[in-house]
Amino acid sequence: MGFLFKSLRRGKRFEADMAEEMRHHVELQTELNLKAGMEPAEARYAALRQFGNVAVIQEKVRAQSRWAWVENLGRDARHAARSLGKSPLLAAVIVLSLGIGIGANAVIYSWISGIVFRPLPGVADATRFVLVEPRTEAGSYPGASWAEYRDLRESLGSFRELFAFRMLPLNFGEPGHEERVYAQLVSGNYFSALGMRPALGRFLRPEEAAQPGGAAVAVISHDFWQNHFAGDPAVLGRSLRVNDRLLTIIGVAPVGFQGTVVGLGFDLWVPATLAPVLLEGDNELENRDTHGYSLMGALAPGTTQAGAQAELTGAMRQLAKNYPASNASIEAEVLPFWRAPRGAPRFLLGALAVMQGFMLLVLLVVCANAANLLLARATVRRREIGVRLALGARPLQILRLFLVESLILGGLASTIGVVAALWGTTALRAVPLPSGFPFKFQTGLDLGGLLFAIMLGVGSALLFGLAPAIQSARTDTQLALRASRQVSRRSRMQGALVGLEVALALLVLVGAAMFLRNFLETRLADPGFREEGVLLAGYDLSAGGYNPASGLVLMDDLLRRLRAEPGVESAAIASWVPLDFHGLPVGGFTIDGRKRSDGGQNRALTYDVTPGYFQTMGMPLMAGRDFAALGDTTQGAQAIVNEEFVRRYLDGASPLGHTIGGRSKFEIIGVVRNSLTETFGEAPKPVMYFSYRNRFSPTGQIHVRARGTELELVPNLRRVLREINPALVLYDVRTLREHVEKNLFFRRIPARIFAVLGPLILLLAAVGIYAVVAYAVAQRTTEIGIRLALGASGPRVVAQMVRESMRLVLVGMVPAWLIAGVVMLHLGGGVLNLTVLLGVPALLLLIAWLAAWLPARRAARVDPVIALRAE
Amino acid sequence: MANNKADLLQGTLDLLILKSLQLEPMHGFGIAVRIGQMSQDMLTVEQGSLYPALYRLEEQGWIKAEWGVSDNNRKAKFYALTASGRKQLTAEEQSWAKLSTAINFVLNGT
Repeated sequence: MGFLFKSLRRGKRFEADMAEEMRHHVELQTELNLKAGMEPAEARYAALRQFGNVAVIQEKVRAQSRWAWVENLGRDARHAARSLGKSPLLAAVIVLSLGIGIGANAVIYSWISGIVFRPLPGVADATRFVLVEPRTEAGSYPGASWAEYRDLRESLGSFRELFAFRMLPLNFGEPGHEERVYAQLVSGNYFSALGMRPALGRFLRPEEAAQPGGAAVAVISHDFWQNHFAGDPAVLGRSLRVNDRLLTIIGVAPVGFQGTVVGLGFDLWVPATLAPVLLEGDNELENRDTHGYSLMGALAPGTTQAGAQAELTGAMRQLAKNYPASNASIEAEVLPFWRAPRGAPRFLLGALAVMQGFMLLVLLVVCANAANLLLARATVRRREIGVRLALGARPLQILRLFLVESLILGGLASTIGVVAALWGTTALRAVPLPSGFPFKFQTGLDLGGLLFAIMLGVGSALLFGLAPAIQSARTDTQLALRASRQVSRRSRMQGALVGLEVALALLVLVGAAMFLRNFLETRLADPGFREEGVLLAGYDLSAGGYNPASGLVLMDDLLRRLRAEPGVESAAIASWVPLDFHGLPVGGFTIDGRKRSDGGQNRALTYDVTPGYFQTMGMPLMAGRDFAALGDTTQGAQAIVNEEFVRRYLDGASPLGHTIGGRSKFEIIGVVRNSLTETFGEAPKPVMYFSYRNRFSPTGQIHVRARGTELELVPNLRRVLREINPALVLYDVRTLREHVEKNLFFRRIPARIFAVLGPLILLLAAVGIYAVVAYAVAQRTTEIGIRLALGASGPRVVAQMVRESMRLVLVGMVPAWLIAGVVMLHLGGGVLNLTVLLGVPALLLLIAWLAAWLPARRAARVDPVIALRAE
Repeated sequence: MANNKADLLQGTLDLLILKSLQLEPMHGFGIAVRIGQMSQDMLTVEQGSLYPALYRLEEQGWIKAEWGVSDNNRKAKFYALTASGRKQLTAEEQSWAKLSTAINFVLNGT
């Protein structure tokens, strides 16, 4: 603002100089006139006359100054502030509503852009990376095997450097004091391909991840370095004990880098070749059936995604030919990083996109609101404009005044928007995240999103602030001056905007109400299992050196001892807990070995569970029996399916005795009732439960149903585990209810936002509709007076006013109501939520009716003479 | 105004002011008198145009104002050509010469 200061400082001297100079001119002219023989008085008078109007010349000089606009702007700003100050309520409503609309949009957009455009904090230019994801016939993405990675790295030329990684939970610390840390097993070129520099030390060298066993080294995250080593630079070369092995720290990752899975934060990076060391008995480096690695890389210069895809398809075909046992039906896809099939984006983006859509609707309501209020105000100000025009203001000057007013409103709204957005991002960061996964979201404010929202908000203030000014400035001065209120026609634009605002408000409110009701209803609905009284705990045997046989014996022993504890009603193990945040695995299968006639693939969610699981979860068996005991060796592989499975794949016939399977066969021995699997409110999904006896897993979840309070069993659980093997680690101990609550996370945030925004939107819509309708009726005060003077009855006039206003409102409301109904039918599976569908419009109509009735009644009560004189 | 005086063509005032300052710095009144003399009293500069023009030229950087003492020992604001003002003068002289030649061609033709 230096120039402003300069111009103001210049101002005083400038004025004095100019006056002095012109006086000097007149004096010289006077002298000249004296020399020509005039009388002194006459000489001076002639000089002055010849010079002309000093003030006008000075004004001309000032107006052509480069800084003239600054002075004018200052004047306009003062004027605009005064004029807005005269209707503070209107200004406050516009500023607040626009500000909130801007802020809310910026917050949601920031989340989306964080995932899509800045998916890898700490990595430069992260959007250039794509994923290479093997895809099974069933359409699932199991990840690549290490052997596949080595082959693809050799054969694919489309990628600058292909690297691999997979998540690995580890137990960090001395025995008995272990804590869970999350590491990524990575290929040797991981850091170099990401183009990163270490904050300290060095990153992995390719040769350190070349031989199985490899180098026992680790790179730690910056956070881990700060939290566990207090940022000590001497950390390099020190040892870390994980899964009871010692790893040497060779480097620290840069600040902010949290690994290569969106939404998750990792603390350690170790060579993938350490897998057989950290996980005893693990053969994932050789076994082509062990999947789970994500492959990623930047496309080589000059390569398109389509080109890379073509090359990849060829390479996968070659693999299928070479290794039919593991790769026969596996294809692969090149996916942009934000479409990663595993991790948070899959769950988040959908929810966020819906939210963003809603927020844009809210912003539209808010813009329509501001537009309505500004238009209404402008109508009233037509006479003011007329006076200004009559006094010599140029149309452009009037336009400028209105522009400044709109800018002030927009500027204030943007300020509020920024504050709201900052508050919103902080509030989101404080939301508790589900445990058992190293969630870490980047919820910084995105400048682009903020700018977008501000542009929309300020743009609408400008557009609708200026439109009436343009219209008015063009009008004839005489006409504008004469235009008393009763003559001013209601503009068609204003009528349309009333309709639009009502329509938008209805849609947003119906949506918000539906969402809230849906959330409450589904939360109260029966999940199909008993939430109360179950204790959950994750176990991890991967470091204990167990094979399936010894592991099964151990877990059998564990369950037997748990069941013997007082206070324990039943105990079981399952591979997953329903409603888990990261989803459940889907498996393809055939029934009795028959392919489907339509060539499609049967698919169902899969769990591996021990006998007693259904009893522990409170899920009744509808037919058949429970699994054979874990130690049983007489019976074949068994499976239990749910009712939806039977309905969909067996046409409701009894499934008992049929076999399902992919590579191995399982006999169906029971049917269990449907229950929730992935989200609340979902349609029933087909589920296959396989016996843990046939599918041992070194990691899983222990389920204990308590007779009393489940949390009181935690010490018992820990003691029993210590008795069996002190080296075994439990993690993520929580109740089933906690688990469910926390995994409602992504439904809870939108619900919470709607709960706050819903009433706010209602208020905005109410204020907007009221203001517009009330203004319109108030403008017709004189008309009402005339009618009353001519003998019309008060109630009749009021009724007519109300009727005309309501017609305008209904024009907007009816189409929106139909749209809301259709959408609701579509989403709700043919069910209409009548409370919402009737309640919301009723409320809006009531507001509109009040807005029309109150001012009309006031006008009708006034003495006609006064009403007529009012103008 | 008398008929024997020519009206100033739009835009020529700037040229005249610059020309009048070519030899020495002058104050506003001096410029007006000088233009009158140089045109043999055929051109009169209106003060209402002169001063806005002076300020405009100053803002463009073609002339520079400085307070000094006039012949009759009075404080006066003197305007002087700047280097870029001289360049501008040459350029405007040339374009004026071209324009007047062209107009003369048209008038003397047919």
